[in-house]
Amino acid sequence: MPKTYRDAEGDAMSHEQVAEKSIKINGYEIRRDRFYSREHEWALIEENGNVRVGITDYAQKSLHDIVYVEMPSVGSKVNQMNPIGTVESIKSVSEIYSPVSGEVINVNNRLSDSPELLNTSPYDDGWIVVIKPSALDDEIKNLMKPEEYADYIRKLIREKK
Amino acid sequence: MGLMRTHLYEYHKKYAFLTEFANFEMPLWYEGIVPEHLAVRESAGIFDVTHMGRYIVSKEDSRVFLDNISTRDVESIKVGQGKYSIICNESGGIIDDIMIFRLEENVFLIVCNAVNRVKDYNWMKAHSHGFSLKIKDLSNNIAMFAVQGPKAIEILQQIVDLDLSSLRYGYGTWTRIKDIDVFISRTGYTGEDGFELFLWNTPLEEYGKAYNLWSTILNTGKEYGIKPCGLGARDALRIEAGFCLYGNDINETVTPLEARLDFAVNLQKDRFIGKEALLRQVAEGIKRLRVGIRLLERGIPRSGCKILFDKEIIGEVTSGTFSPLLKCGIGMGYVLTEYAKPKTPVNVQIRDKCFEAEIVDMPFYDTARYGRKRQK
Repeated sequence: MPKTYRDAEGDAMSHEQVAEKSIKINGYEIRRDRFYSREHEWALIEENGNVRVGITDYAQKSLHDIVYVEMPSVGSKVNQMNPIGTVESIKSVSEIYSPVSGEVINVNNRLSDSPELLNTSPYDDGWIVVIKPSALDDEIKNLMKPEEYADYIRKLIREKK
Repeated sequence: MGLMRTHLYEYHKKYAFLTEFANFEMPLWYEGIVPEHLAVRESAGIFDVTHMGRYIVSKEDSRVFLDNISTRDVESIKVGQGKYSIICNESGGIIDDIMIFRLEENVFLIVCNAVNRVKDYNWMKAHSHGFSLKIKDLSNNIAMFAVQGPKAIEILQQIVDLDLSSLRYGYGTWTRIKDIDVFISRTGYTGEDGFELFLWNTPLEEYGKAYNLWSTILNTGKEYGIKPCGLGARDALRIEAGFCLYGNDINETVTPLEARLDFAVNLQKDRFIGKEALLRQVAEGIKRLRVGIRLLERGIPRSGCKILFDKEIIGEVTSGTFSPLLKCGIGMGYVLTEYAKPKTPVNVQIRDKCFEAEIVDMPFYDTARYGRKRQK
């Protein structure tokens, strides 16, 4: 059954929109179907209301070869913008911040053996946790829509130069 | 005042992710630390190490002078040979670890850590009174590359006239490559077979010849799988090999005996700066030792992580990384001597969690499969 791609607000996307399911800024991919945090995490609101979380293409490219991921345990209570784990390359350690408050109900165990999934598939196979959100309606305003995140990335790239 | 750049800055700027190290703008990686690291263990890698210090110590008292400031027996270094040595202060603390190459009877090439360029030069000058000698800083006049890995010799043999297989490990000789006089030594910092090339009379501002040789080695080595390697891979490789990094594993608060660099310390020598302090330490017993640590659970130890035994702190990690070869966290650090035996189970505290680990011998890799003594 073909998957229905939804945009960040949950509205089904047209063919044309699906074909353009990503925005590309300077080679960094930004998926149109999810929300973003300033710390480069993405939050995908699923059909059942749970929030799937991962790190963005910009984040994985900055870290380069990811060799270790520390994840929270299922059942942990998390708060928006608080650290819930780390992503490590050989040279650096980066915190993962939860984009929403709630309870961790699933953790991607594949990342233990294959942390490189965060590099090869940051938006799909490289998902990190699924959270049952406790205050999504309230907290969503603290996250960026894809276009806003794209502007944010553009600004960061300009500042680096 | 800006950062210093080597002859290859334009190449690094184009192909590498740059970092600041010892006041130099250096490549941290090109393709990535993991592929570069694995290339050195499986075929070959080339490193720009021009940031290091290079000094010529010469004239009739050069040997006696060097024997006075270093722990190693310099008298026994043959012409063409290079030996790893330590410069100690009066308390036995490590000023730097260096290579001493004897180019001629009374001409020595000293290679030191980039971060200690000024310190070592000042130390040598300060201790040169009364000796008939000349100390010349040629750091900015000699480009330096390292070509390391099991295929390094095959690659370099394509462009070098002399028979490299006749060069014993730890020895060097002069040759001419691409219009440059090169002192080529069979030495390195990765644990693999390989060579270090000293490109004589190549001032930083005239980078053309050095750049040309770098490109030639890369092109010649392409079919063998050579990769340009940055400081990221250099660090992971030397940790796997069990080699110290000044500033992390050794510094002025540590003696070479604690660092287990006994092979580079000759306590039978007449005298050298720090000898009395080291003899005292032997007499009193060495209280802590540098060891290898291997994590038994997934995790990456880092400098500063505490090492515990039965919930008591027994030491600290001084260098740590994820081994791309062994796919686990490894590191080195110091523990109280009674816990320094291999297979001692310990815990490493990384941020707020404790990870199971054990003390192991170094190098970390199986020397029958990796390293310059690997079985063919």
